[in-house]
Amino acid sequence: MADTDNILKVENLKINFFTRKGKVYAVDDISFTLKKGETLGLVGESGCGKTTTVLGLMKMVPTPGEITGGRILIDGENIMPLSENQMREKVRWEKISMVFQGAMNCLTPVYTVGKQMMETIQEHKDIGNSEAKKKIINYLNLVGLPEEIIRRYPHELSGGMKQRVVIATALFLEPKIVICDEPTTALDVVVQAQIINLLKELKKRLGLSVIFITHDLATEAEVADRLLVMYAGKLAEIGTNEQIYGKGGPIHPYTEKLFNATPRLHEKVEELSFIPGTPPDLVDPPSGCRFHPRCLKVMERCKKDQPPLIEVEPEHWIACWRNTND
Amino acid sequence: MKWIDIKAGFFDFWNEFKRVRFGLFGLILLFIFILTVLINSYIVPFPEASSRWRDITYWEDNPTSAPPVWINWFSSTKRAPSLIIREHTFSEEKMGKIKLTRAAFEYEYLYDLPPLDVIFHGYAKGSPVIMLSMERPDGQIIELVRRPISKSDGSTIRISIAKDTRIESYNFGVKYENPESNRIEREIVKPTSILFSEAKEGILVHPAPLKGTYKIIAEIILPGENDVVEDVYISFSGSVSGWLGTDNSKRDIWSGVVSGAKWALLIGLLTAFTAVSIGVTYGVMSAYLGGWKDSLMQRIFELFIGVPLLPVLIVMSAIFKPNIWTMIIMMSCFFWVGPVKTVRSMGLQIKEETYIEAAHAFGASSSRIIFKHMIPLLVPYSFASMALYVPSAIVYEASISLLGLGDSTIVTWGQILHDALTGGAVINGLWWWIIPPGLFIALMGMTFAFIGFAMDKILHPKLRTR
Amino acid sequence: MYWKYCIKRIVYGLAIFITLIFIFSALFNTTMESTLRSQIEEEIRGETLKLDTRMKPEEITRYISERREFKRHLYHLDKPIWSRIVWRAINVLSLNFGKATIMRSSAGEADVWKIIAECLPRTVLLFTTAIFINIVLGLLLGLKKAQKAGGLMDKTTSIGTMIVYGMPSWWLGMLVIMFFAYTVRIFPSGGLHSIPPPTGFAYYIDLFYHMTLPVLTLVLIGFWGSAFLIRNIVLGILQEDYIMAARARGIPERKVLYGHAMRTAAPPIVTMALLSLLASVGGNIIFEGIFSWPGLGNLYWISIEQNDIPVLMGNLFVTTALYIGGLVILDLTYGFLDPRIKVGGRPQ
Repeated sequence: MADTDNILKVENLKINFFTRKGKVYAVDDISFTLKKGETLGLVGESGCGKTTTVLGLMKMVPTPGEITGGRILIDGENIMPLSENQMREKVRWEKISMVFQGAMNCLTPVYTVGKQMMETIQEHKDIGNSEAKKKIINYLNLVGLPEEIIRRYPHELSGGMKQRVVIATALFLEPKIVICDEPTTALDVVVQAQIINLLKELKKRLGLSVIFITHDLATEAEVADRLLVMYAGKLAEIGTNEQIYGKGGPIHPYTEKLFNATPRLHEKVEELSFIPGTPPDLVDPPSGCRFHPRCLKVMERCKKDQPPLIEVEPEHWIACWRNTND
Repeated sequence: MKWIDIKAGFFDFWNEFKRVRFGLFGLILLFIFILTVLINSYIVPFPEASSRWRDITYWEDNPTSAPPVWINWFSSTKRAPSLIIREHTFSEEKMGKIKLTRAAFEYEYLYDLPPLDVIFHGYAKGSPVIMLSMERPDGQIIELVRRPISKSDGSTIRISIAKDTRIESYNFGVKYENPESNRIEREIVKPTSILFSEAKEGILVHPAPLKGTYKIIAEIILPGENDVVEDVYISFSGSVSGWLGTDNSKRDIWSGVVSGAKWALLIGLLTAFTAVSIGVTYGVMSAYLGGWKDSLMQRIFELFIGVPLLPVLIVMSAIFKPNIWTMIIMMSCFFWVGPVKTVRSMGLQIKEETYIEAAHAFGASSSRIIFKHMIPLLVPYSFASMALYVPSAIVYEASISLLGLGDSTIVTWGQILHDALTGGAVINGLWWWIIPPGLFIALMGMTFAFIGFAMDKILHPKLRTR
Repeated sequence: MYWKYCIKRIVYGLAIFITLIFIFSALFNTTMESTLRSQIEEEIRGETLKLDTRMKPEEITRYISERREFKRHLYHLDKPIWSRIVWRAINVLSLNFGKATIMRSSAGEADVWKIIAECLPRTVLLFTTAIFINIVLGLLLGLKKAQKAGGLMDKTTSIGTMIVYGMPSWWLGMLVIMFFAYTVRIFPSGGLHSIPPPTGFAYYIDLFYHMTLPVLTLVLIGFWGSAFLIRNIVLGILQEDYIMAARARGIPERKVLYGHAMRTAAPPIVTMALLSLLASVGGNIIFEGIFSWPGLGNLYWISIEQNDIPVLMGNLFVTTALYIGGLVILDLTYGFLDPRIKVGGRPQ
């Protein structure tokens, strides 16, 4: 696999939060890649570091957080040494953009939709008003919205409409990488389905490389090609959907539990399965493997040593001591 | 609301509060204020200041409009402070039925400006005769006054040297003054400036202080068997007096200011507590009841909001002339509107929570839901509100008192400032009259501001995430 | 949408004002009437003096009681109490406040409305200037504080806010006068202008010269508060998701702060400014008194000292009207600035 196929390469990314209670190891030494045209799903519980990771990709980790180590290469270029100005002018939204969560509150309430979209375009590209407007209308239509949305204020739009606006805004500068941070979470099921279909279509049409964050495995299965499972700031498993969803193959105990927690429609359910315990405190994480206090297959070694990502099959990595012995 | 819950909640809050430094500072200041109020009588020279503020006899011995004693530290001209001397040497002689007692008081005079008056006090019964004289450090003895007393029922007596020894002092001074220098009228001289000055030329015009130990001697003749003179002491009315000086009615300002502290605390806390209690309950009920009841309560609320508070309070005070309790009630009647809007929106949010629905489903009564579920959540906000209302209440009362419409039977800081204003303190630069009362108002306001803002700071993050 | 909102607010405001006027009329009825009665007696006495001295005593007595009846009827004093209250309230609403007992306007008129109308602009001038400066300084400082929230400057200036929180503005005024006007005599101790007032351009200079100390005092106390509030408002907004989203979109920080953040902060900040102005309409009676600034506040003080009830009442009514009017304008402005109210709900 040549490096030029990777539109994004993350090496040993570390992000810490310096709070009054101590240093929070929010993202602890993560490495992964994103291939051109691929959709990478990023799943995990709330607070496991998914959003922090992707904010880190845009160097927008909020205070008191800081990227404390690692490299991020977007299209071969390491963005770590870039200044804030350089990030703003060349990277953000032009190379990598983000579709925010639930479109709840990510549009400024006092500006019309059109003004915000116009502002974004004109901040990056030197084009006139009418040309910008044409482009905006183009993309609005692409996401299925009529032109008159331009004159509306965010509060006048429904959740689904706002989400589409956000998608259009994320795309119209034609970035290479698009991050979708739980774009369907706050929407009702029908609208969810619409949005997902829209995203799939756009991905195909525009050849996007996407990182898709969700905690809903069903959505992930539909949208993504490969899957990253995160737990407590570290990667638990990387693999393709077939490798992970398929029964019988090697799997990380956490991932296994995640799947079991979703009851199957066509199976008999005696008892709802769940993962005992709560996610760990990232100021003082558990020793060794972070999942060991809640793992049903825990061994002695798990309590002492942090398992690295081990390639159990081609393109399938699991961070678990069990899998070295099997 | 179980006691354990309340305690736990309180300790959580206290842990957070401890961290905010200025909050602790405010708490310490508050503690100092409360302590001051509790030990009021012990730290002021005039403990009955509050009840006898308008009683001129209580303040008789003080000088008028005298600056505080500590200005002596900043000035090369030292002024004699007000003082009371009780110790005296006592001797008694009997000549037949007649008793002769002698009380001698020692006074250290090390100042450049003498006291304004020296006053002899005692309790007399019958017909004694009191003779006062003064022995100066240069050995001279001046006979000051000879006063026969006639009091069949015993009562206190008071002999003021400044008032009663004009002739004697003048005669003494004239002996040394250059006769060719301008004839000073007897009426103009101040006896004390002659008595305490060097016996030489210039004693009447430019007196030089004679420093040293003076003896004030009271010789008392008690002709009858039942004549009695006892409890004698001498008070000096200084050119500087007290920790904060005196006003133009001779009142010790320090005593007044300290007495005012308890009224300020009372007014502030009572008004704030009443107003916030009413306001919070009103807001919660309005939120909970909803529908037309809510709208009606909101209309009434808007009516109260439309009232410009200070003018109405002033007009009401001008017309109805309230006392302090009426004033507190009047203020509470209008202050309660403050928390209502916020509390109502918080209440509406809480109402939407599912556990409220659940409580309903279980058949909980309205008052139970309001008091057990909604109000406890609002308690922290209520306390922060209360703390922040105290300064406002104090300033309102001070404003009304300043206009002369306040309760004149008590001493509040506003009252003192009113007297200051009408007594020409601003024009005459009597800064010790104006600065302390206002400063204390500001200090108490600051105290509660610290506490209230600290509480507010803790509450805010929680408010936002909801 | 917005028009409906406007009309609703205005109607409510009027309703509240009218209700309050009736309440005040009822509450202060006795006092106002006793003043009225004394005024009537005064008038009658005046008229009696002009009578022909040859009239017999019985005729004079009859004349007096006739005039008394006439005047009582004129002022509705012979009607039941409710009618009197209503009539008085209607009078007030038509700006007929009656005559002052003692006070006079600078033109010597006794008409209460004229007296009040003369004082009103002076109050507005003084407080609008002070609040304007407060807001400008508050914005400058508040924005800086919000940007470096929790920093040293933020913390120290917040302490400053708390220190002046409980400080009466009039007390600070006294100190300022004592120092700047008596100890170091650079500023006048009060008043609107020098006597006699200079003409032409010098008049305005003189006016501002006299305004310096009061405005200085107001700003010293006020600007901490506005800086603190603005800081909180802006800080709150800066933590919102849409600010982060704007930054993610590559909008320069300058535009994020002064465009997105400030524009969203405009409604609450404008509200704050208007509220301060409102508070000054009602609350600065003593302040004006201390500085002998002949505005509405000072009018209260003087009318209390002189026991001139008609002026006091008239002033109260005007102040209430201004206050409620201010509240209505505040709502309308807020609604105008915040599209969520101006444009209203969703189309579907």
